Amino acid sequence: MKKLWMKVLGVAGLIVLLAACTNNADSEGDKKHLTFVYNFATNSLDPNVDSSYVPLRAGMTETLVRLNEETLKIEPWLAESWEGTNEGREWTIKLREGIKFQNGEPMDAAAVKASLERSLKDNVAIQNALKIDTIEAIDDRTLQVTNTQAFPEFVSELVNPNVSIIDVEAGDFVNNPIGTGPFKLESFTPGSKLELVRNEDYWDEKAKLDSVTFSFNEDANARSLALESGDADVVFRPETESIESLEAKDGIKVESTETFRVHQMTMNMEREELKDVNVRKALDALINRDEIADSVLLGYAQPAKGPFPDSLPFAPSYSDHETGEDVAKDYLEKAGYSLVDGKMQKDGEPLELTMLTYSARADLPLIAQIFQSDAKKLGIEVELRQIEIPEEYMAANRDWDLATYSNLTAPRGDAGYYLNATYHPDGALNFSGADEPELTKIIDELNVTVDTDKRAELAEAAANYVDENQINSFVIYPDTLVAYDETKVKNWVTTRSEYYMITNQLDVK
Amino acid sequence: MFRIIGRRLLEVVLFILFVTFFSFLFLRLAPGDPALTILNVDELNVSQEQVEALREDMGFNDPLLVQYGKWLLEFIQLDFGNSYITSQPVAEMLLTGLPATLELTIGSLIVMLLVAIPLGSLSALYKDSWIDHISRYFSIIGAAVPSFWLGLILIDMFAVRLSWFPTMGRDSLLSLILPSVTLGLAIAGVYVRLLRSSLLDSLGQEFVRAARARGISESRIFFSHAFRYSLPPVITVFGVSLGSLIGGVVVVEVLFAYPGVGKLVVDSIRQRDYPLIQGYIVLMAAIVFVVNTLVDLSYRYVNPELRLKKGTSAR
Repeated sequence: MKKLWMKVLGVAGLIVLLAACTNNADSEGDKKHLTFVYNFATNSLDPNVDSSYVPLRAGMTETLVRLNEETLKIEPWLAESWEGTNEGREWTIKLREGIKFQNGEPMDAAAVKASLERSLKDNVAIQNALKIDTIEAIDDRTLQVTNTQAFPEFVSELVNPNVSIIDVEAGDFVNNPIGTGPFKLESFTPGSKLELVRNEDYWDEKAKLDSVTFSFNEDANARSLALESGDADVVFRPETESIESLEAKDGIKVESTETFRVHQMTMNMEREELKDVNVRKALDALINRDEIADSVLLGYAQPAKGPFPDSLPFAPSYSDHETGEDVAKDYLEKAGYSLVDGKMQKDGEPLELTMLTYSARADLPLIAQIFQSDAKKLGIEVELRQIEIPEEYMAANRDWDLATYSNLTAPRGDAGYYLNATYHPDGALNFSGADEPELTKIIDELNVTVDTDKRAELAEAAANYVDENQINSFVIYPDTLVAYDETKVKNWVTTRSEYYMITNQLDVK
Repeated sequence: MFRIIGRRLLEVVLFILFVTFFSFLFLRLAPGDPALTILNVDELNVSQEQVEALREDMGFNDPLLVQYGKWLLEFIQLDFGNSYITSQPVAEMLLTGLPATLELTIGSLIVMLLVAIPLGSLSALYKDSWIDHISRYFSIIGAAVPSFWLGLILIDMFAVRLSWFPTMGRDSLLSLILPSVTLGLAIAGVYVRLLRSSLLDSLGQEFVRAARARGISESRIFFSHAFRYSLPPVITVFGVSLGSLIGGVVVVEVLFAYPGVGKLVVDSIRQRDYPLIQGYIVLMAAIVFVVNTLVDLSYRYVNPELRLKKGTSAR
């Protein structure tokens, strides 16, 4: 038995020794390296299929067009220009000249066609989103795309990271896709990390960094700790509670950026009480947006006025809503309610509401609780019900009145997605059951309008309609938080789209 | 021996059928819909009809028994299916993650043994002394503290403050130490107490007294008689607590971003990737089964009494 003891101790000693040796190997001169920690893990790097979008985020792949983060408009990327005709049914796309894939193959029209066709074949969602019928390569640099229907927002849909252009001849999409980006893959550990090195033949300005480690950790605490320990230089979405302690550290900067996300309160308009717009307005007036932004998101959020944040080119100038208990009470009185024995009631029936919430987004249950306690002050009983998958529950069950929900309202810089999904009678996310002929007409018109300004006008009109009729309530625009080591990292930009993370401009001091 | 294994094989078939059927049933009854994930409704405009069409296409509208039957038919041909999310064969994905998980399991078992054997032995030898009290507190704390919390404390102490180890990933053997210690400490508590009481029991046995009477040294009595005699109950419990070890591995893998099968299955649960979850369940069921069989077989070797009984009855 003593011998066994010695063996165990020996093995343990050996492990420590080996570990100590392997660790020193990576200090290699003054190469510029950066470690980034992202909050979702992926087991696949397939740029056309995986919804983690890691290849694009890590600077491996690029799309034909991209979202300009300042103007929030679509701008050329791999494509140089485009032109749509016939209400967006046909498109001619001109590619930039002289771009090569990371394996040296030319990125010509035939390669782009093959890449697009591959994403259509392998990804049902993209098939749905792009509505492409045929693609033709006219010459080396020109593509002709015909859609199955008039589809004006086609080009904005090309911003989708799943429409990344890759060399389909290269194969092994899951472990080593070949794109055109400033960084190419050196190694991939599924669920854990990517090691990237600079693409020396990049078509645009070469990356300033020599190499990047793009790693994943789903635990927010662990991400904050990784930054504190120096294992990471930039961490995406550190834990909100740890921000104060992070900021107190020398050299750590926490950046908070508005995105296209809105936390909203979905109203089920099929319920008797909520059919009355005055009731909906009363409930909207009861939402204490400032308190929610401060106490739930510790100030890292802006009170929301409508679905689209002001920064978007098509955000309307929302009417100012008056809020507070008194306003809510007025609206309820208009709807025939009165406060009797501390209970808000109409014809002897107290106003009791069921509100759904889910824990996948930690802010939402807290928002629901604040709303519940505010409603109680006015004699409205709100029963909270925790559900698992909101999309599924709300679609299948109509036994609820209100629901907390969170939505990206313009993920690709266009309003079409959100308005169609949420307010069109056919939309998959139309949980309020909106079937308003006037609104549907606006959305239908938007769906056949190519001109950007005209589209913005229609999007504004739709958002205004939603606002005036209080189809849903909008609570806050949560910020995206990124923390990084300011003494080391240079040129980090937290993008609002959350698409472009590792770029050719990113640098270390 | 072969008869035991043959009977075991029959049992494993029934066991796997049972486990896969019920896990299949619960998975499908649980809320969540891969169609929504696949269609990426969070970011892409989809109509209700398209969701419905995809569900139909993927066979989610078939009766559960039909769905299970299809899965079973493929499974019998050793086809675990492809992941809905990555389209890769499930078996391949699981096998890629398995080495990391095994590494972590072995690492935490080593930590567990390094803690439990000395602490358990000392508290039995010095019953009611201060070391016995310390080991008792250790066990209570070990059982009560959740491993993710212990992990965070260890990261904070040894990775952030002392910078001895990396906070996450799987780069060198160094990155194995914190996760192994986290998990090892979490399971050690049970074994410290178990070993202590089992040792106390065996130290009171007649053969120990007899050995003492023959003048054999205390240390030899302890190691070659009492210790060995005390192992079977400990090993039995190991078979039982394997489940909690597997669960602990999952938690620790997520916390340390350790790319094993535990982390893989957490990701796939988030995405409702049924084939992968189901594959994981089969794999774990198989592992539990194999380990339990080994535990059963090992009794004969560690417990002289059992071996003797079997031997005499055969003669």
